[in-house]
Order: sequence, then structure tokens, then C-alpha cells
Amino acid sequence: MASLVGAFAASHGPLLIREWEALPQDQKLRLKSGFEELGRRISAARPDVLIVVSPDHWSNFFLDNVPAVCIGVGETNEGPPEPWMKAFPHREIAGHPAFALHLVREAMKGGFEPSVSHRLKLDHGVCIPLWRMALEPLPRVVPMIVNSIEPPLPCLSRCLAWGRQIARAVISYAEPIRVAVLATGGLSHSIGEPTMGAIYEDFDRETIRLFGASESELVRYLEKKLPSHGNGSEEVRNWLVAHGAAGGRGFELVDYLPVPKVIVGCGFASWRLPA
Amino acid sequence: MTDYWLSKMFFDLQSPPAAAEFRADRDKVLDRYPLEPSVRQAVLENNVSFLARRTNPYLLRYFFFAVGMKDEEFIRKLRDG
Repeated sequence: MASLVGAFAASHGPLLIREWEALPQDQKLRLKSGFEELGRRISAARPDVLIVVSPDHWSNFFLDNVPAVCIGVGETNEGPPEPWMKAFPHREIAGHPAFALHLVREAMKGGFEPSVSHRLKLDHGVCIPLWRMALEPLPRVVPMIVNSIEPPLPCLSRCLAWGRQIARAVISYAEPIRVAVLATGGLSHSIGEPTMGAIYEDFDRETIRLFGASESELVRYLEKKLPSHGNGSEEVRNWLVAHGAAGGRGFELVDYLPVPKVIVGCGFASWRLPA
Repeated sequence: MTDYWLSKMFFDLQSPPAAAEFRADRDKVLDRYPLEPSVRQAVLENNVSFLARRTNPYLLRYFFFAVGMKDEEFIRKLRDG
């Protein structure tokens, strides 16, 4: 039987790469330390498979077909297509087709209908955290794309339910592999809209508090606040998937800092899983 | 209202060779997409706020990044509407 050995979350953002050298030294050190601490925790959990929950930033899907959720079931996926991600050390990233297909089949049995892809381009949303966490060698990555880019978006409670579905699927997998979940994205940011550049620190801090306090309050708060706190903040859906996988408990903030040069409220977190 | 062909062009121009071709000859690339004349004109004039009402905000940002507009100018044009 497989086991769920960890749940983690980290922000991403193109400027974490493109503006890295221009960041104030104290912020650079805290970001580096946040990513590396999560890298240490993930390495300590020794996952054979890392389910990475991220949006697709128009790398795979266009308006012809925008899945709410897509799971990568391929033997391998491609590294990031963005030219400024050229230095990322992996052009191909191994998947785990048997486990990924199990995840999909169990989801279908459980009333979820994900799209599947046998080959995805894993853009900066997936690869910046993996890169900055210095996870070498990389565990096998099963990508789970959750649409937070092009409305209509999956509802927040559905994302939590997805996390719980993942946890059930892990323990029903016959092989004794170790599986962890890494959510990427958020916290607040605004892209390509008049508020671009805004970071809503109060929103971020309350969201963080509620992750540690009350799931129902968290969902109510996000439902109310997300529409007016930056389109990039919608990526908190991925954190909800990780929260659901952890059973809605055990949230632990590693660090949070608003980084104006990166235009993202950057958060790092992990969950203590039930024994 | 989403403009499919405008969005498609922005999506396609994420590829560096396509963006380079666009920077070299905008009309040649624009001819491949059945854009409304007002939309085509807005692309030629870098009319950010006009285009913002017709496409996804991420695609809008990728396009103006690909054509070399600095974020500061992009944000100013978005806000000035």
C-alpha cells in the first residue's frame, strides 16, 4: 500500500527568476531559505512520487479546450517552455504513469472527471519551486493542473475535495510507494489587470491564519475576497488541494513575505500529516 | 467579451521565433489572423486598455512582454485606460 508522506506549498512567479539578482538582499535570503527549507522537508519525506499541483500558464491549453483539472499520466513530461527558464536543469521530467492512472481511475470512481494528458509542458508554475528547492535528484512528478487562469474556475470546496480524493487514492494504491503533494502558486498577486503589482498583505495573512484555524471559514473568506484581491490569488486553489490531502489539518507556515519586485505575496508552508 | 483570434495570436506569440517575426514585421503576422479592423489597429498602436477588454490578462501580459514593453509602461497603460 502506498503512503502519503507530505504536503507542501510554495509560491511561484516569473520574476523569481528574471529579477532574482535585482532583489533586495534580505528578501533574496528569506526566499532562498523558504524554498530550501521546503526542499529539506520534501527530501526528508523521501517521496517516490511528487504530485505537483499548479495552474497551466497557457503552456498546454488554449481557449479550444481549458480543462478544470488535468492529470499528467505520461512516462515523461517536458521541461518549461518559457525562454527565460532555459537554465532549469531538466528538459524532461519523469512521471509515474501507473500511479497517475490509478489516481485518475479512483477519481472517476469517486465522482471526479479530470482530463488526462500523456505529455505536458511543465511551465514555471511547476518548475520554479522544484528549481529553487534544489530537489536533486527529482522524484517522479505527477502534474495536476488546476485551472486558476481562465474563468470559469473550479470552485474552492471542489479543490479541497480533490485533495481528500488524492489522499484516498494514495492509500488504495497497491505498490508501497511514498507520495507527497506540492501545491504551487499564490499568495496574492495581480497579473495583466489594472491592479497589476498589488500585493494584498492583509488578505494573505488572514488566509494563512485561516489555513491553521477553520476550513469552512477559510472557504467562506476566500469566496468573498478572491474576486477583489488579484487574479493571481486564485492560485490558492492549489493550496486547498494540499490542505484537503492533509485532511484539513496540520497547516504550518514556514515563511511569508510580500515581495514587490516579484509582485507576489510569497508563502511557504507544509502540513503535519495525521500519523 | 473574449476575442478568440486576438487571444490566439497572443498565445502563438509566446514562441520566441514567432515573437521575433512579429517584432520584425507586424503586418505580416497580423494578416494570418481574422481580426476586426479596430482590434488590429489597437495591436499596432499598443493600445493596452482596449486589448485588455478582449483577452485573458495573462495572455495580454505575455504579449507585451514578448514585444519588449517594460512592466512599468504596461501597468501605466493598463491603469490609464
